[in-house]
Amino acid sequence: MRKGKHLAWMATLILFVITLASPLIPVSVASAADSKNLIYDEANLLNEQEKSELNAMANEYGAERQTDFVILTTNNTENQDVLLLTEDFYDEHALGYDKANGNAVILTMDMNNREVYLAGFYKAEDYLDNGRLQSIRSRITSELSSGDYKLAFEKYIKLSYKYMGYEPGVNPNNILFNGWFQLGVSVLIGGVVVGIMTYRSGGRVTVNRATYEDSNTSSVIDRQDRYIRTTVTKRKIEKNNNNGGGGGGGGGGTSRGGHSHSGSRGSF
Amino acid sequence: MPVIEYKCPNCGSGMLFDSATGALSCPSCGRQDNIEQIPDPLKKQVFTENEVKEYHCNSCGADIVTEPETSATTCSFCGAAVVLSDRLTGDLAPAMVLPFSISKDEAKQAFKKWCRNGLLTPSGFMTADRVKSITGIYVPFWLYELHNKIEVHGRGTKIRTYTQGDYHYTETQHFDIYRRIRLNYVNLPIDASEKMKDELMDKLEPFPYNQLKLFKTPYLAGYIAEKYSYTDEELYPRAKEKTSSYIDSYIASTVSGYNSVSYTDKQIDTTLKNADYVLLPVWMVYYDYNRSQYTFAMNGQTGKVVGKPPISKAKVAGWFAGISAVSLLSLKLVSWMMGGGFL
Repeated sequence: MRKGKHLAWMATLILFVITLASPLIPVSVASAADSKNLIYDEANLLNEQEKSELNAMANEYGAERQTDFVILTTNNTENQDVLLLTEDFYDEHALGYDKANGNAVILTMDMNNREVYLAGFYKAEDYLDNGRLQSIRSRITSELSSGDYKLAFEKYIKLSYKYMGYEPGVNPNNILFNGWFQLGVSVLIGGVVVGIMTYRSGGRVTVNRATYEDSNTSSVIDRQDRYIRTTVTKRKIEKNNNNGGGGGGGGGGTSRGGHSHSGSRGSF
Repeated sequence: MPVIEYKCPNCGSGMLFDSATGALSCPSCGRQDNIEQIPDPLKKQVFTENEVKEYHCNSCGADIVTEPETSATTCSFCGAAVVLSDRLTGDLAPAMVLPFSISKDEAKQAFKKWCRNGLLTPSGFMTADRVKSITGIYVPFWLYELHNKIEVHGRGTKIRTYTQGDYHYTETQHFDIYRRIRLNYVNLPIDASEKMKDELMDKLEPFPYNQLKLFKTPYLAGYIAEKYSYTDEELYPRAKEKTSSYIDSYIASTVSGYNSVSYTDKQIDTTLKNADYVLLPVWMVYYDYNRSQYTFAMNGQTGKVVGKPPISKAKVAGWFAGISAVSLLSLKLVSWMMGGGFL
């Protein structure tokens, strides 16, 4: 009895540790002293407190991925293209976690044209390719549209952090990588196995249809398989031509300063 | 006299059936008598049924207290093996008997071993030190021989899919299916004792029917035997019900190569060819644990144990958590190897 209980506790503990540890925020917190400004709120979408909170968060998560998570909002009075705007901003401010013009992700909000652009440079170009940036953008667009900027920016930082945890080339939204899915499947397997064990503890029926069959005298005496008719149905193959709604699009490029990047743009 | 006992011709002790040698043996002097060669005292006697209400032990003269179903037992005073012969004659005469091949000690050992293997049973139960009693019982069974004539009509489809140009095509061929089958079952056992749970007895199967012997009363010496509570006609529906799933799967096995089959007409004509009254060996184990009694049955020939043991909640929880944790760990590993990060 006691041995069984120990076992139960141990295993439950392991289960909990694995489950709870996964969504925890990164442990290494960048100290206030070496935190740099990553929020460039030129369009004044955020108040001071929101700004400092987001900045702390961007520093903290960015340190873990060795990448600057930058947010740029602008009223774009010169009516520049949002892509060029992002590239020039990167060149001018020499952004980058590891060096000037190094690893960085930039979220640019063009409030004039209500367009948003996401760009990944260097490490972020590999880890946040067009597809992943597209996925991040599509998940924050509804918050951006409704003006919930703080929440949208938080999601952007968290998603960028999360996606950079996956090797380039794999689909970060694969359901196999979902912790809750993994937990659910594990619990299901445990339940089914223990259920079968309990069911079988009382002994099983070990006879089958052949046990009492007198095979010498049993046989098929007569059989017929008569063809009647053939029916055919056809279905048109869907051609996949559209690139996803909402006026979105992917694509990176190279800045005037010669820095190549991935990207995703769309309106909100 | 309706009570039969087996006295050793050498020393006068009571003789018992020995499961190791299959002979009637004397525990005092070691005399072994081949049962198939000694004349059965039962054959010499003629009774009218249900005439006798009281039995007396030939050895000590005490009343033999039995239940109405019992046909063999031991005297509760002197321990002599007695066979109540009027309950084994006429309509109640078994055709065959399957003798025990597992002795009481072997049964005990086998049961202990089985208890140790219980993954979900409480540790206190696994030691099997509270076995209250272990009793060898010859349980009455009917062995049916059933002949089935089966005629089945049905529809089957074969489906082929292919792509041509801009279209997916699904081509379905329809077939008319007809099967005429002769399907015979022999030695299909149905437990005829009212006291034994059907569910428990069904799980004890299969019994090795090639070991069946022509019935002779000395096989019962030292065991308890019961007479049937239900006749073969009364249990015929249960026999048919037992074969119906076998018949269905036999039919399905003759219809292959189709993507789907539906039966429009199924006619099964069953005739009862024969039903033999046989006695099959079962060790009943009564076990007290945590103030409740658990009953187990062991096949007296194969040693297979059935019966619901107590389930330890802690062990269930332990296995559940353990298996879940291992599954989770392996899922995490898979996701890590796919490049998804460990946590």
